[in-house]
Amino acid sequence: MKLISAFCSICIFLCVTPLTEANDSRDAAKWMTRADSLSGEAVWFEAAIAYERVYYLSDDPVLRVKANLAKADALKQLGEYSRAADDLQRSLVFPGNDSLRLEVLFQLSLCTYLDGDYSGALSFMGQLRHTTDSATACPGSDLLEGLVLSAQHRWEELREHLENWLGQHPRGRLLKDSLVRYYAENYLAGAPDPLPDPDRARLMSTLLPGSGQVYAGSAGWGVLNAFSQLASLGAFALMAYNGYYFASVIAGLGPFQAFYFGGIRQAGEFAEQNRNSRLESFRAAVDIFLLEVSDQLDS
Amino acid sequence: MLFVLLFMAKPCSASSGDLTDEDFSKETRFILYLMGRGDLDESLFLIDRLEPSGMHQADSLSYLGGWVLYMQQRLEESASRLLNVSETSPFYHKSRFFGAYNLAHTGNTSQASAELSAIRVGGGSMHEAMRDFQMGGVALLERDFGTYEHYQQGFSGSYHVMAREESQMRLHYDKLRDNPPRSAFVGGLLSAAVPGLGRVYAGKAPEGIVSFLYVAAMGLVSYDIYRGRGAQSPCFVISATTTGIFYIGNIAGSAAAVRRSNEEFRHEINQRILFDMHIPLRNAFN
Repeated sequence: MKLISAFCSICIFLCVTPLTEANDSRDAAKWMTRADSLSGEAVWFEAAIAYERVYYLSDDPVLRVKANLAKADALKQLGEYSRAADDLQRSLVFPGNDSLRLEVLFQLSLCTYLDGDYSGALSFMGQLRHTTDSATACPGSDLLEGLVLSAQHRWEELREHLENWLGQHPRGRLLKDSLVRYYAENYLAGAPDPLPDPDRARLMSTLLPGSGQVYAGSAGWGVLNAFSQLASLGAFALMAYNGYYFASVIAGLGPFQAFYFGGIRQAGEFAEQNRNSRLESFRAAVDIFLLEVSDQLDS
Repeated sequence: MLFVLLFMAKPCSASSGDLTDEDFSKETRFILYLMGRGDLDESLFLIDRLEPSGMHQADSLSYLGGWVLYMQQRLEESASRLLNVSETSPFYHKSRFFGAYNLAHTGNTSQASAELSAIRVGGGSMHEAMRDFQMGGVALLERDFGTYEHYQQGFSGSYHVMAREESQMRLHYDKLRDNPPRSAFVGGLLSAAVPGLGRVYAGKAPEGIVSFLYVAAMGLVSYDIYRGRGAQSPCFVISATTTGIFYIGNIAGSAAAVRRSNEEFRHEINQRILFDMHIPLRNAFN
């Protein structure tokens, strides 16, 4: 009796498991359609959940990668780039076809770039390059690599990348010389260098009050700071001369040291701000140039 | 979590309604999967969308929703859901204890105490010891030493999940008893005698020294002007008035520093009590 019972249990297990799996696969396909429909209606949050459900239910590796990619798109729409990148990493070990693997790597680079992790984006771009040499295999990858290099302020490497990008593109070969020259003359030559150095600005303000601010591009603040230091020193001298010794130290030297050391710190901060602002403006101009190049190649 | 799944599958087979047992079971498994991934917003969205049929499904959803909100540190909302779980649910004790703990954490100690008292426990059980321990913790949060001492008598150390925390709770009690709140009035009085001394009394010696220095510096400037121009001089009047304002401000500041110091002590010890209330719950129910 026990043997019969065990035999029946095994039979039930063997029959039910494939049936359950078949149900799950059917459900996965159904949910994929539903997720696509939600995505089409721009209901991104629900679409992301539905794609995750497909990933959860399906045993088909291709469908899982497709769902993961589509979920990353939905998360990008929600501005959740970091989560999209984390999810995509699940599909990195995907053993399927190259085109899907390339798409995963490209989307991973894009999400990492959008998340502000430029080194990470470049690392995934490296994997993408290792997987394929053909630029046409993954459209957009050259533009993305250019944007990543621009974000990292690697202007010279960007010029080399531009040459390779245009050289590999059928239409780009015709435009290569003129575009690379244009970049070299209008951007590379005008790269914001030398940029204000915060350490130098601090040193200048230490030696000559106000000069660090002038060097950092804030002449008004420099003059004001120098004048404040002079005024407090003058107050100190005047009060000491008239015999107000305690008052001269407290009301004269006290503000003076505050203006002096505050001025040094302020010069460094101004130099930092000026540096970042100039770099960002330059980077924005280069990014626009790269987008225009991409448009020209696609047109 | 496996237990959770088993529970959800079992009672649902007897229920009827729009949501079939199988659908409910599948949905909750997916929700648990999302929770495991840390997709808490998504989990909560799915939980809120489900319409339970029957008390068991409702209990499961209340428990899951409360747990997700607890993980999101939305403790008030978590408490309201967890405390909805009925007595027939296998999650009853966990939900009640965590719900009451969440209330205590949000400062609603009186309701936490009421919820703990209402928990049904068997005599001599671990749940009873846990209830007494939590009640003791809540009493300490309320600084109700009499009630705490009553519950402390039940701290036996016989349950390993809370033995260490029971002795920690005794230490908190000793610390609270030995450190009654300082008086803001005394702090102000001390600063009136010697500027900054009230802050030293509040346990903020560096602030006290700085206060003393700036009031002394302003006093010296006033004395300097008085020495040079006399008491009738407008400069002296302005300087002395300013010094007086700072002197009085320092007295008020010292009183505020004592109150702030009391508040910091209260906050710190409350956090420790809450931490020690929390650990046994995690040990016992997770």
